[in-house]
Amino acid sequence: MRLFKSEQYFDYPWEQVSAANWQKYPNEVSTHVKSVDVLRREYDPVKQVLTTERLIGCSQNVPRWLLCMTGGCEKSYVREISTVDLQNRTVTMRSCNLTWGNLLKVWETVVYSPDSSDPFGRTKFRQEAEITAHLTFQRVCDQIEDWSVDRFGQNAKKGKLGFDSVLENFAKLDEISDRTCKLFDEMNLRTSSVLKEWNNRTDSVLKDLNERKESAIQDVNVRTHTAVSKLADSIFHKN
Amino acid sequence: MGNLMSTSFAPECTELKQKYDTCFNEWYSEKFLKGKGLHNECTDFWEDYRKCLDIHMKKQGIDNLLSEARSEAPFENGGKAVDDEDRK
Repeated sequence: MRLFKSEQYFDYPWEQVSAANWQKYPNEVSTHVKSVDVLRREYDPVKQVLTTERLIGCSQNVPRWLLCMTGGCEKSYVREISTVDLQNRTVTMRSCNLTWGNLLKVWETVVYSPDSSDPFGRTKFRQEAEITAHLTFQRVCDQIEDWSVDRFGQNAKKGKLGFDSVLENFAKLDEISDRTCKLFDEMNLRTSSVLKEWNNRTDSVLKDLNERKESAIQDVNVRTHTAVSKLADSIFHKN
Repeated sequence: MGNLMSTSFAPECTELKQKYDTCFNEWYSEKFLKGKGLHNECTDFWEDYRKCLDIHMKKQGIDNLLSEARSEAPFENGGKAVDDEDRK
């Protein structure tokens, strides 16, 4: 578990900051926040406390392979409960991520309160986050390995399909050779020109197949290389 | 107001949400902050918006994620985790 703390000040009265807080998004800095929804809101007129539950939708900023690994969700969500206490002039917002909870939990608490040195002109912003990763590195590695093996399996399958077609053509070539042999026997080397013609044809078929085989193998190599590079890139970006 | 408004996670609900938000923001600044808030207003807008949310949260499976989070950190508890009452 890790803790994160920060404190900042706004040169505006608490009332203004608290009102602006509801309209914080969209803004130019927090472009990852894609949606804000109010799920529940209750007001206690005696205590003058307003409690709100919100759902904040964020765009995923994680590598694609990690999405594949964990079931693939294009958006991630954060649930936030805020209480506005008018008598004590505080806004307290507590939030936690809904998605990715099995990997990482981030409990964040934000408090807006009047700055004691200038309670009607300045507002203090206090932020605390408690971050807990639920996965050991070994498990992450295992998952990456599983994913990689899977991907390699897929590429290998493609490679095999390519090679299968090459082999099939080789089998056809054998048939041709058989036929050539039969012809040989039957014709009893009747004319050399016929033989020559068959040889030439066999040669060109062989040459063609060889070229195809080469390009299929090259294709498999390129794909394997691309998969490895992508994986390396992802790991690099993650850090 | 002229300010850009945030959208709903479900595009179908954005219009209803913005109507509700406009009403709420007005109530918050003009009544709540001035200590004149007698009750939570904007209920008509709220009902429509809320119905739309319910449909789309079910569709996208968000309600399942929420129910877990709600038992972990109840609304009534101000969002504090139940297993850690010391959490400020």
